[in-house]
Amino acid sequence: MLQYTKGRPLPLWLKSGRVQTGLVIIFILAVCAIFAPYLAPNDPNEQNLLSILTPPVWADGGDAMFPLGTDSLGRCVLSRLIFGARVALTVAFTASIGAMIIGAFFAHVAGYFGGWVDWVIGRIVEIWLSFPPVILSLILMVGLGTGLRNVVLAIILVDWTRFCRVLRSEVIVLRRRDYVSAAQLIGFSHWRTITREILPGTLPLLITLMSLEMGVAIIVEAILSFVGMSVGSETAAWGQMIADARQNIYEAPFNLIAPIFAIFFAVFGFNILGDGLRRTLDTRLTQTERT
Amino acid sequence: MRMIATIAKLLVKRVLTAIPILLLVSALLFCILRILPVDPAAMSLPPNATVQEVEAMRTEMGLNLPLYQQYGIWLNKLFHGDIGRSIHFRQDVTSLIGSTLPATIELAVIAMMVATVFGLAGGLFLFYVRGTRAEAVMDFVSILLLSLPEFLWSLFLLLIFGVFFEVLPFTGRLSPGFERPLVTGFLLLDSLITGNIPTFSNALQHMILPCLALGIALSPSLMRVLRSSLLDAYQDDYIQQARLRGLSEKRILICHGLKNAILPTLSLMGVQFGFLFGGTLLVEIIYSYPGMGNLMVDAIRNADLPIIQGAGLTYCVAVLVISIVVDSLYLILNPKLRVR
Repeated sequence: MLQYTKGRPLPLWLKSGRVQTGLVIIFILAVCAIFAPYLAPNDPNEQNLLSILTPPVWADGGDAMFPLGTDSLGRCVLSRLIFGARVALTVAFTASIGAMIIGAFFAHVAGYFGGWVDWVIGRIVEIWLSFPPVILSLILMVGLGTGLRNVVLAIILVDWTRFCRVLRSEVIVLRRRDYVSAAQLIGFSHWRTITREILPGTLPLLITLMSLEMGVAIIVEAILSFVGMSVGSETAAWGQMIADARQNIYEAPFNLIAPIFAIFFAVFGFNILGDGLRRTLDTRLTQTERT
Repeated sequence: MRMIATIAKLLVKRVLTAIPILLLVSALLFCILRILPVDPAAMSLPPNATVQEVEAMRTEMGLNLPLYQQYGIWLNKLFHGDIGRSIHFRQDVTSLIGSTLPATIELAVIAMMVATVFGLAGGLFLFYVRGTRAEAVMDFVSILLLSLPEFLWSLFLLLIFGVFFEVLPFTGRLSPGFERPLVTGFLLLDSLITGNIPTFSNALQHMILPCLALGIALSPSLMRVLRSSLLDAYQDDYIQQARLRGLSEKRILICHGLKNAILPTLSLMGVQFGFLFGGTLLVEIIYSYPGMGNLMVDAIRNADLPIIQGAGLTYCVAVLVISIVVDSLYLILNPKLRVR
């Protein structure tokens, strides 16, 4: 890849409009998450019981103190939205990295060694897939208990199979390549062959999958916090905001729209980034495969 | 005849592999839920129970035995159709699941139909506009749609059709005041059997939003796979051949393109429908639909272990059944696999 992009002002993948869109969205979210205390107009947990369920500022009865209105406890919706980005992005990054490491490890081991190792890993993945992901993550949360660390752990334990399934078939294709046999003939250790010869080949797919997984992780966290099985109530999370707004849907429908849009915005950012990466990184992969 | 034999063979093989999977899943479920910090014995007694009473209950429930023995007892009961008694609802788990499962199946099946219709139509449309400007737009739209999971679609549709326009009901399965016939437990089916048209149409209205939410959320991935398999199919010589024979484009698409492209789509559907079955959980909660999802979440909130185990296992069985059905369909539709 380095060879290919040498001497160019921008690597090929960065030129894609999709990748740029995705990166801009993620950058905006990251700024919200990192600088949340400075950006939020109010304390996200401060309850103003005198102004409950106020509409956004542009509607009748809106209060300039709360630009997007307040929830059923009189907490500022905008501030909770901004602070919610923290939970979402923390889960997105840590869970997808964790799931990637476990999934990629098993995928490479299964695809490279084949035989009974592949069979065992394949069966484990099959068992995992017989659980709908939502159900499995809920059950894991029951076992692990609530809290941010456990949410991340549950998502990793559920979603590593996504990586494993897809990457495994890629590894099987790559390990039949001549240069892999060459490396084995020279006497590279298995570990070295996998990390130096096969991993660079699976890397584009791996990065793409990771970007998509970040979107999935955000959705799963929102689902878990929606049913009250994620972070505690003292931490603002988008799913919780939805659950709260669902109770007052007639009085304050906007409270529901705001977190829905936030989740959609974030997931769209990661999806469009993933799609852009797939197009730019993977087409080269398929081209080399055909020649 | 031969086809039936092959399908029977596949069914036997799949059912045989499903058994160890279910055993392992049940062991997994059992272990995850036994490491919980809650004490099922203390929970099933009133809060003022003495330590001796709790101890007696523990012995009665077999909680002082080693874990593998507890699992053995649980499994043995499971084979006899006894998954235990709900601590919270004070009812047999089997009857609780029996009364909620039909509702969930009804929801899932109709949602699958919706997903199939949208997926096929969308995929054909995406393929039809290939190479035009509309393709780029549609492609972008399909990523937009992919970013909205069923969870958000449900809320979104609820807001639009339930709250803003107030055209469709969005809580439960039936409006109050409607008679509920009980034959099979499947409300739509029952009201049809008993000829109760008002109930049928009311129940159908309640199904529209949840099924649309689930179906629409699933369709973009089906569309995209169908589109790319159609593109693959059109690379093959038989399309050119059909064109040379002077067949109309429409006929080529339906008789040759679609016939071949439907297979990869179908195998994806197997996996996706499994996910959809899990997705009903969220949709049920949002629409207060009295299915297994609501039962499961109630159980989780009350740490009601027997229900969590029973419902978890039922979800697994459902996923396995769906994948076996889709695989058999695949076999019926794919002649390459039949002749061996």
